[in-house]
Amino acid sequence: MFDALQLRKEFPLLDGYPDLVFLDNAATTQKHQTVIEAERRFYTHQNANVHRAVYPLAAAATVAYERTREQLRAFLNARYAAEIIFTSGATAAINLVAHSFGPERLQAGDAVLVSAMEHHANLVPWQQLCRRRQARLLVAPLSPGGALDDLAFERCLTEHPVRLVALTQASNVLGTINPVRELAALAHRHGAAVLVDAAQSAAGMPIDVQDLDADFLVFSAHKMYGPTGLGVLYGKKHLLDEMPPWQTGGEMIREVSFGHTEFAPPPQKFEAGTPNLAGVAAFGAALDFLTALGRENIALHLRALRDYAAGELARIPGLTLIGRAPETTGILSFAVDGVHPHDLSTLLGEQQLCIRAGHHCAQPLLELLGLPGGTARASFAVYTAEPDVRRLAEGLLRALRILRAVP
Amino acid sequence: MEENRSDLYHPLLLEYNRAPEHYEKRPEATVILEASNPLCGDKFVLYLDVENGVVVRASFYGHGCAVSKASASVLMRKIQGRPVAEIRLLLAVFLQLLCDTSAAAVAPDADFAIFLPVRQYQERLGCATLAWETLDQFFRKN
Repeated sequence: MFDALQLRKEFPLLDGYPDLVFLDNAATTQKHQTVIEAERRFYTHQNANVHRAVYPLAAAATVAYERTREQLRAFLNARYAAEIIFTSGATAAINLVAHSFGPERLQAGDAVLVSAMEHHANLVPWQQLCRRRQARLLVAPLSPGGALDDLAFERCLTEHPVRLVALTQASNVLGTINPVRELAALAHRHGAAVLVDAAQSAAGMPIDVQDLDADFLVFSAHKMYGPTGLGVLYGKKHLLDEMPPWQTGGEMIREVSFGHTEFAPPPQKFEAGTPNLAGVAAFGAALDFLTALGRENIALHLRALRDYAAGELARIPGLTLIGRAPETTGILSFAVDGVHPHDLSTLLGEQQLCIRAGHHCAQPLLELLGLPGGTARASFAVYTAEPDVRRLAEGLLRALRILRAVP
Repeated sequence: MEENRSDLYHPLLLEYNRAPEHYEKRPEATVILEASNPLCGDKFVLYLDVENGVVVRASFYGHGCAVSKASASVLMRKIQGRPVAEIRLLLAVFLQLLCDTSAAAVAPDADFAIFLPVRQYQERLGCATLAWETLDQFFRKN
């Protein structure tokens, strides 16, 4: 196991602001010193464009780029490195599938199934695809505790021609972890392909795409202690081989004439234009960091922190925890009677406590929960420790004293 | 920050939030406006009775943060019984006071003064101006 308080020193921003308690890690994490150093090293020693030039510097840049791809293959236990596509983020990865795979997969009258806990990024692309294809978007409901209602999920598959299931592995609002392996098996039995949104889980638990049997799986580097503007699409090779490119241009072609283009095979087919080279190099350092800590250890750490925080916050009068699924990651939403989450967030901010308030890019879910003003959300990372949680509890009590003061 | 005090949350602002004035639903009002911010879920309805160019009665109802609720409450209190021409001037003064940080931070009265700290909290500016902007937009179009 690792020592979160010691780890904090390895994150320059946190080390530079010792009083800051950063609890908005579901939005983005702070960057490890090796990540920042790798980005600097790329620009200082390796910067050249990849895959084209033959001089040694370019060859070194290409080696660094492809090394991260291979690291990701191992990180996910994918079969082939060509199954790893670099994108600008999880959102772009989902859009790639929605635009490339989606139209070929869906006929008028078919259905796409999502859950009620999806982030807008895993909802809006499918909603728009369904509109374009005259297909139907189905939403699997949640049980009262905030877990997916698996019986209703199965009913959707049984009663409708579902061709594609898009499901988050961990909810960015409720912290719920979905049993993706079982649900993917169920979806496959009904002939549906499965996309897993791993944005909130990729840095928090081990992921084995072969074991999950996911057809696609997406995540963003910046929620994994890595750089912004970079994400990953994993796709099964036989699917990627068949899919048309989404964006076209340089880097993704084999041969071009004025009248015709022959595309390169995956992964290049889906990586038009110059990619985020320095980001990819830096992401390699983030993956090393996560692997060295061990994702089983990280999962245990996040779960323990959430349980501890749930206990501490539940003692605050008028505070309700939102989301009580049996399996959860380090994300804790809460509401306080008569207090708007934005007021809480501002008052906590004045005490150097960074939490998120609002609907967390999951507006339909918050409407469903009867919380149109959203929730307050604390989300944890490897550098979060119990004293941070106690600071949050104290900060909340102080904020409530201010807001509830009667002059 | 002092213990139990915050820069943004003046005691008077909190009092308006706790016990807003002119806080009632009046579906029979002649002008009904929705002041909502989908980004944070704040949603108020403004009810105005306008007769011969004068707002003879003003009230509001809905949910939102302390800043948006207090500012809607102050707005209602300020406009009831006043001619539209005066109200338009009042709206311009308030919106400029909060939005134009290059202008002098001098509030004409105590009710305006409690919102001056919003100038230092740009992320909460939309809360303080929600009802005021809504009314301003309405008068611009009508």
